[in-house]
Amino acid sequence: MTRQHTPQRTHRIALLFNANKVYDREIITGIGNYLLSTRVAWDLFLEEDFRARLNGIERFEGDGFIADFDDPDVCEALTDSHLPVVAVGGSYEDASKYPPNLPYIATDNMQLVSLACKHLIGAGLQRFALYSLPESPTNRWAQERELAFNSLLKADGLEGDVHRGLPTSAPVWHQASVQLTEWLHSLPKPVGIIAVTDARARQVLQACLISGIPVPEQVAIIGIDNDPLTRSLTRIPLSSVIQGTEEMGRTAAHLLHQMLGGARFAGRRILVPPVGINVCESTKHEPLASPYVMRARHYIRQYACQGIKTEQVADYVGVSRSSLEDYFRRELGCTVHQEILKHKLDVAKQLLAQQEMSSAEVAIRCGFTSLQYMYAVFRRELGCTPREYQEHLLAAASSTQMP
Amino acid sequence: MNFADMHSTVISTSSSVQVERWGTLPGLGDIHLFTLRNAHGMRVTLSDLGATLVSWHAPDRAGRVADVLLGHDTPADYLASRWFFGSTIGRWANRIAHARFTLDGVTYQLDRNDGDNLLHGGASGFHKALWNAREADGALVLTHESPEGDGGFPGTVTANVRYALDDDGALTIDYDAGTDAPTPISLTNHAYFNLCGDGLADVPDIRGHVISIDADAFFAVDDATIPIERKDVAGSVFDFRVCAPIGARLDWPDEQLARAGGFDHCYVLRDGGVALRAVATLYDPASGRELTVSTDAKGMQFYTGNFLADVNGRSGRTYNKHAALCLETGAFPNQVNMSDAEQVVLRPGERYRHTTVYRLGVR
Repeated sequence: MTRQHTPQRTHRIALLFNANKVYDREIITGIGNYLLSTRVAWDLFLEEDFRARLNGIERFEGDGFIADFDDPDVCEALTDSHLPVVAVGGSYEDASKYPPNLPYIATDNMQLVSLACKHLIGAGLQRFALYSLPESPTNRWAQERELAFNSLLKADGLEGDVHRGLPTSAPVWHQASVQLTEWLHSLPKPVGIIAVTDARARQVLQACLISGIPVPEQVAIIGIDNDPLTRSLTRIPLSSVIQGTEEMGRTAAHLLHQMLGGARFAGRRILVPPVGINVCESTKHEPLASPYVMRARHYIRQYACQGIKTEQVADYVGVSRSSLEDYFRRELGCTVHQEILKHKLDVAKQLLAQQEMSSAEVAIRCGFTSLQYMYAVFRRELGCTPREYQEHLLAAASSTQMP
Repeated sequence: MNFADMHSTVISTSSSVQVERWGTLPGLGDIHLFTLRNAHGMRVTLSDLGATLVSWHAPDRAGRVADVLLGHDTPADYLASRWFFGSTIGRWANRIAHARFTLDGVTYQLDRNDGDNLLHGGASGFHKALWNAREADGALVLTHESPEGDGGFPGTVTANVRYALDDDGALTIDYDAGTDAPTPISLTNHAYFNLCGDGLADVPDIRGHVISIDADAFFAVDDATIPIERKDVAGSVFDFRVCAPIGARLDWPDEQLARAGGFDHCYVLRDGGVALRAVATLYDPASGRELTVSTDAKGMQFYTGNFLADVNGRSGRTYNKHAALCLETGAFPNQVNMSDAEQVVLRPGERYRHTTVYRLGVR
């Protein structure tokens, strides 16, 4: 497409999203990125709290809309708009569910679930389940993800369990947790669970932790959204499928830009596949034979950085220290202490990579008894000091990063 | 079998490059396969037929090794093929309009093998030649002499291609050539990548791959895929300065995409022709494999396998549209007929040099 070089008037565009969630915010970011990469000047209308309000939208004195069509009210308000509209939302298996006369930019629900499935299969799992949401007009995408899950499993000759659970609200929270825990206990293990959102994935993770189900050995969990907020609320880092949200925003902006110039794309659909997976502990499934080792690692993963000792791990597992050591030697070829240390070292490496903390702070955060001890461990295991490790990362990053 | 047994031109007897006989072709003789390995279970298979990159077995996120390149089963298939799978392309990579150029006042008529145009060196391009192979410090060096008049080009060109695989997963391809008369030259490799690997019975196409290309401009093309205009990528489907999934972009309404049936366009790389630097990344979210392309070339053709249709591929597979993609680094297509033609002319006493590094890792 040729860029317009002639001076053009500023178009007034309304973005109708409920941008309190990372998904919507990233779509808006994509729209912004498109505008910054071109000479297109739009006067963007967004509510101050970034939420869509539809009162009087028909009186909007503007030139076009990019809007979240997952919201049935937005759908209804804009379907007969005389202004150009680009719809954004989830994909549908049944094509008749798309608004007929508008261009529609979709997150590809089939590809999202397929990627999560492939990842769990890659992690060695053979049984799968989906934690969804109760049916509602506001989360039709969750039902689409169920359809995708069922058809993918059917294609492989498998059956998967789908649990919708209860809607999230304070009064029924206890009941919802009990139900979820019962469901988790009822599933044959090990099992890989896909949650339709990270918020749902966090509930599964929490229920597993509370009822002592080892993650990821017995239940591996992957969410969708890669929401940093959810990640910061879980003790075991959560794997998540990254949606192509910024690309959806860029695509929507590009189409609206063309439409303002007279192009018409009624009925055109562009499905945007996911752009990655953030692989974390919750899906680093390694099939293990001993339930004691499984439980021990589950405990270590949560509390290694709080200065735990072999004794406490053995207490938690409920076997003697010497038999736990036996199991560890046989299954993992290391001692319990080495496993704790390995975990601390991994966390230290991650923190150093973020470049936000001094070595002394990292040592404290990871439960090393002193900075000297952390230095000794680094030198023995990695052949360098924490500082050198950090410098090495920086150098590697600057040599591979694109200018 | 080692290099000493292979044939008389081979001088190295070191065994770090594994050699095997792949087959025999009438008029060419024995065709060989060479395997480079690294410490992480990666292996690259090359052939002296067309100095071809035949296979690249690389681990995915979970450590499972699979081949990320399209190819054929036998040397005869490669010789009969019109797909250039993994081959070294020369003496001129991509197209020359009307198969004609003028150099130092003389107009040369070349092979027309793509409508009215020359494509990839013509009918007797470097990809159909049997190259001489030798090992040097664990790398494979292939040499080919292209005679005066080859494909219609002036001068005898001697070209070397060196393949080296390191423990970081980087396959470095160094091109080096000399000539005894002025001639245009641009060498590239035509590997077709699909990072899903061939481990699955039903390999998905590359629509789910995510790509970034560090280029502010590209060449729009005519119906014969000859560049007609240099354009900014900004605001267009061609803007991959921020990474984007290829499948979604293939569905954008765009006249240039429709014309080529997908991407088959040359990008003008940022700071092109200056130094070796990363210019593109390709990522497959499912396998976690990530390809980084670094080059010192000015251009890179991004081709999404638009012409592939019912191609008989390796191990009984059939390749169809978008089964793989190519990232071909080199001069601009038809540059010999553009204002900066002199940059692609090699004269006696000068050396043509070009380095491209394909690095495979996981994320």
